[in-house]
Amino acid sequence: MTGKSKAGKSVTRGAKAARRTGAPARPLRAKKPDAMETLLAASAQALALPIDPAWRAGVKLNLQLIFRYAALVEEFALPDETEPAPVFRA
Amino acid sequence: MLETAALDFRFKTAADIAATVGAGRASALSVAEATFARIRACDPLLNSFTAVTEQRALSRARALDDARARGERALPLAGVPFAAKNLFDIAGMPTLAGSKINRDAPPASRDATLIERLEAAGAMLVGALNMGEYAYDFTGENLHDGPSRNPHDLSRMSGGSSSGSAAAVAGGLVPLSLGSDTNGSIRVPSSLCGLFGLKPTYGRLSRAGTFPFAASFDHVGPLARSSRDVALAYDAMQGYDPDDPVCADRAAEPVTPLLDLGADGLRIAVAGGYFNCHSAEAVYAIDRVAAALGANRDIDIPQAERARAAAYIITASEGASLHLDRLRTRARDFDPAVRDRLIAGAMMPASLVAKAQKFRRWYRSEVLKLFAEVDAILAPAAPCTAPLLGQKTFVLGDAELPVRANLGLYTQPISFIGLPVVAVPVPLTPLPIGVQVIAAPWREDIALRIAHALETRGVAAARRPKEF
Repeated sequence: MTGKSKAGKSVTRGAKAARRTGAPARPLRAKKPDAMETLLAASAQALALPIDPAWRAGVKLNLQLIFRYAALVEEFALPDETEPAPVFRA
Repeated sequence: MLETAALDFRFKTAADIAATVGAGRASALSVAEATFARIRACDPLLNSFTAVTEQRALSRARALDDARARGERALPLAGVPFAAKNLFDIAGMPTLAGSKINRDAPPASRDATLIERLEAAGAMLVGALNMGEYAYDFTGENLHDGPSRNPHDLSRMSGGSSSGSAAAVAGGLVPLSLGSDTNGSIRVPSSLCGLFGLKPTYGRLSRAGTFPFAASFDHVGPLARSSRDVALAYDAMQGYDPDDPVCADRAAEPVTPLLDLGADGLRIAVAGGYFNCHSAEAVYAIDRVAAALGANRDIDIPQAERARAAAYIITASEGASLHLDRLRTRARDFDPAVRDRLIAGAMMPASLVAKAQKFRRWYRSEVLKLFAEVDAILAPAAPCTAPLLGQKTFVLGDAELPVRANLGLYTQPISFIGLPVVAVPVPLTPLPIGVQVIAAPWREDIALRIAHALETRGVAAARRPKEF
């Protein structure tokens, strides 16, 4: 979390607390955004998919599963020239 | 006057019924009437039907009897009652595909091609069958219509998504049904209910007039209580259909006349590695089938675990793309378990799908090489016997796995590349389990010959459930 100091500089809530208690300021580690949460929120918006908050956990679980399986596929190296299975014919 | 009152059609095979009707020992009308009486008596227990087509079937039966009275030749499926998973179009009815949403769809204007072809061979459609919502299911549990129940134990799953197709046949309501199989939806319920089920080569049987799921994996096929019935139905349904762009322009290759060639001389191996199942029932079934066939070598299907993962990814993507608009407008009308999977599939980056499709090509070419060494491969059809209704997980080896996604553990790597498979039932006590007989593309004849040989030797059998 960040706030504004009187001088207009951003300071962390942790730094404010440290100033009050006299303890040495310890930089707060920024909370790493959850990649699946981020993807879920952005995709829902981009695809105009209404997601009830109650569904998020279920969707996220399924996204995690998809990415786990995708990693299994991705780690198998294939030549650049490999054709995908469906072949289009004009 | 036909002496039909004493005839009992329960658990008769389609071949027996066709022979009886064809020889004039029973009328098609008497078979149809007995079938509806049976459905009325038993389906409240099984919940396998979502609609019956009684007037239509009775009219059809009368027409068949009239044709016979005129001296027309007997048809191969004369008077055989059958029913179809409710993703097959039936003229005059909306095609539900197991959903609530499709109840609002307009009625189909004509029957699905396979229904037309079975009826052209003398069969009679008697109704539409329950299924997992939009076929994204292995359990047979349907939120809107209730679960189909396993005739061998009504407290257990039928398997899915062709749940009603399996329950109705295993319970002796009809000798034959139609199902669809995208990742295992014919083979898994065949295994759990103890039936013969054919997932043909991708593109062999027309899907015209069926509601799709994942287009590049969607197959349709028959379920029955005997290998001969599967073959008879398959033969009646083969042939090019311009209404299905995937259907191969390939002449019909009848398999029924080849069944008695048996399995002698065929090179048969057991799939090892990924397919080494840790459940006692599956191991016993594979060992028993392998011993009967003299299949004493193992073969490795390379990268099968990755194949299953890639199948999962492509299914999620193609399924999501199919339902995207419905997810936008009617998301609350889906079964939540299906909806959440579809939404996640819609959010998957396309690059992952393309990778999976590239892997699919590589895998196909590697697996096809195996068929230079063997004619058929045996693998479990399901990792366990039928779970209890409502059961969420099962234990396999050291792992506890979700039921819904994992009953198709051993079927997905096979349909991923469209190979023909016959699921054969091994009648264990108290519950049956299936074995997949996998052949090279277009070699349904080999898989069915092996299934028939196993049935002839008593190793494979669709045993009649005690309660029915």
